[in-house]
Amino acid sequence: MTTTEVRGGGLAGAVAAEWTKFWSVRATWWCLIAGAALMLGYSTLSGIAQRFDDDPQAANTIALGGGFYLTQFAVIALATLFVTSEYAGGIRSTLLWTPVRERVVPAKAAILLPVLFAYGAVLSGAGMALSGAVKDGHGLPTTLEAGFTTASGMAGYFALLGLLCTGVGWALRSAAGTLVTVIVLLVPLPLIVASLGLPELVSYFPGIAGVNAMVEAGQPNPITMAPAPYAPWAGLLICAAWAAAALVTGAAVLRRRDA
Amino acid sequence: MITLRELTKRYGEKTVVDALTCDVASGQVTGFLGPNGAGKSTTMRMTVGLDHPQAGEVLVGGRRYAELRHPLREVGALLDAKALHPGRSAGKHLTAMARSNGIAISRVEEVLATVGLSDVAGKRAGQFSLGMGQRLGIAGALLGDPGTLMFDEPVNGLDPDGVRWVRQLMRSLATEGRTVFVSSHLMSEMQLTADHLIVIGKGKLLADAPVAEFIAGNSRTTVAVRVPADGERSKLDERLRAEGGLTHPGEPDELVVDGVDVTRVGDLVHELGIRVHGLAERTASLEQAYMELTASSVEYGVSA
Repeated sequence: MTTTEVRGGGLAGAVAAEWTKFWSVRATWWCLIAGAALMLGYSTLSGIAQRFDDDPQAANTIALGGGFYLTQFAVIALATLFVTSEYAGGIRSTLLWTPVRERVVPAKAAILLPVLFAYGAVLSGAGMALSGAVKDGHGLPTTLEAGFTTASGMAGYFALLGLLCTGVGWALRSAAGTLVTVIVLLVPLPLIVASLGLPELVSYFPGIAGVNAMVEAGQPNPITMAPAPYAPWAGLLICAAWAAAALVTGAAVLRRRDA
Repeated sequence: MITLRELTKRYGEKTVVDALTCDVASGQVTGFLGPNGAGKSTTMRMTVGLDHPQAGEVLVGGRRYAELRHPLREVGALLDAKALHPGRSAGKHLTAMARSNGIAISRVEEVLATVGLSDVAGKRAGQFSLGMGQRLGIAGALLGDPGTLMFDEPVNGLDPDGVRWVRQLMRSLATEGRTVFVSSHLMSEMQLTADHLIVIGKGKLLADAPVAEFIAGNSRTTVAVRVPADGERSKLDERLRAEGGLTHPGEPDELVVDGVDVTRVGDLVHELGIRVHGLAERTASLEQAYMELTASSVEYGVSA
């Protein structure tokens, strides 16, 4: 009752609280460190392989592979746990602090968006630098434009992938359910859709669209071996649409359910 | 001040809170009593917007909890001490909490000192004992220095010192003019702490009265008389019924009388010339009064 008037609260308060929560659990650090180690390990091994391989690759393609095959799973785990760990009990505290539930969903998104964007940019840069140094002139050269496209694409993809996971997490309220849903959406589902005779749809799934965002226009996507039917920025737009749909669904579930 | 108006919560067919209407006033400790499953926790969760009522409303200081700009500065609640991330330290938990409502971060150390957890601020909350977790929950409730405090079974898991500490804390919070709303399923606990009682059973209001009034209105006095000879005892029994008393057997050789006072029973014994081994007045405890009041509304009762 005697608290001196301090500003804050509302959405800004919710974001500030989520920032503290994000950095104060070990899972955050483990996921970030594991993702980085996977990227650096993959870049080193792939760089070494380029010295002997007959399948020449550029450094940015190697970094892309490290991001898509390995590091993205650390990103998925990080973003999923950020939401689903609430359902181990903390959600009641979170909603006591921020009873306007519409604020909780964007508050978590506001933390992940910049953190994962920076993480993707830094790791793709590190992966390119490391693999470039290790392969030492073997394989294919990387142009500045190609390197920039991969770095900006991975930054945007990781950020939007994180938001997709939080949206699914809010909707399903379980870590296992969220991980399975997101991973199926990224890899097996596009393959199934393609085998059912709709290969043109593959480019519109979030994982493939994210990789398309990392490849220069007209160049083949190293996962599907086909060039994207749209520009790299459009790949991020597709990822953003998936993330937005998941967040809206998740927010609707959170608003309606008892905690 | 907490205001409940026709507050109703149903889970499917089951009505957990049934058109509950009452006020929780400031400046006193209000005990919220009821057997397990009576709807106490659900009512408290609806007060802070965690559960959505099907009908009616509950207001804190005239407004819904979700409408409060800084809810933690107006309402402090300990509902579930386990409602936190077990991997986060106590200090970080409270820091995040303070940030969410624009509360000065210096309050974190203050409340940790108040509840005696300063030394373990850096320890992960999941490693806390039940009692320490309860203290951390109380620290959270106090963090925003709110005018209204709600505690759901606050003494669970506390040692005797802790129980006394919580009692004193609640009394002093009420003395400062705050609204203190405490749930318990133990009458004896509330007898020591509360000024006012709200009793519910199966979601319905059973009593809403000051403690003294509740005691006066619900405690009954009976008379126990021990008569060793069976024939004499049934003779006395007959006579007491004729006087309008209700009788039932107590201990072996004993007759318990309700509705005839002890002097009259003594006189009747003398008049009938009966040999008596004991004659005593018994006042039912508040605990018994409460048990009788809620007997028909026990959710998970054991059939006798």
